[in-house]
Amino acid sequence: MATGTDQVVGLSLVALSLIIFTYYTVWVILLPFIDSEHIIHKYFLPRAYAIAIPLAAGLLLLLFMGLFITYMMLKNRGLTKKAQ
Amino acid sequence: MTKLAQWLWGLALLGSAWAALNVGALGLELPAPCRDVLWPLPAYLLVAAGCYALGTVGYRVATFHDCEDAARELQNQIQEARADLSRRGLRF
Repeated sequence: MATGTDQVVGLSLVALSLIIFTYYTVWVILLPFIDSEHIIHKYFLPRAYAIAIPLAAGLLLLLFMGLFITYMMLKNRGLTKKAQ
Repeated sequence: MTKLAQWLWGLALLGSAWAALNVGALGLELPAPCRDVLWPLPAYLLVAAGCYALGTVGYRVATFHDCEDAARELQNQIQEARADLSRRGLRF
C-alpha cells in the first residue's frame, strides 16, 4: 500500500469525485422528479448552472493546459538554441 | 473500421437520437420531468466520466505498492554516482 501523503491525496481525490458525482446526479437526474414544493430544492442552484458551471470549468481547464504547453515550448526553444 | 470511426459513429448516433428526442421530431410527447432530464444529459455524462476518471486516479494513487527498500537503495546509488562524478570533475 502507498504511504503517508500518497494515501491522503488518493483518498481525498476519491472522496471529492464521489461528492461531485452524487451532487450532480441529484441535481440533474433526481430533482425534476421531485415536487417543486419540497425543501430539498433550497440546496440546489437553478438548473441552468448545471450546464454553465461544467462548461466554464472545462474551458478553464483547456486554458490552463494551453498556457502550460505554451510555457513549456517557450522554455525548451531557448534551450535548443543554446545547445546549437 | 478503425476505433476512431467506431467512436465517431457511436457519438453521431447517440447525438442524433438525443437531438431528435429534444426537438420532438419523433412525435413522442415526453412528460415534462423526462424532458428536463434529457436536455442536460450530454453534460451529465461528461461530468460523470470526469468523476470516474478522477476517482480511479485517486484510488490507484492510494493503493499503489511502494517499495521502500528499493527506493532507499536507489537513493544511495544516486548519492554514490554524484560523489563519483564530482570527484572526476563533473560539476552539477
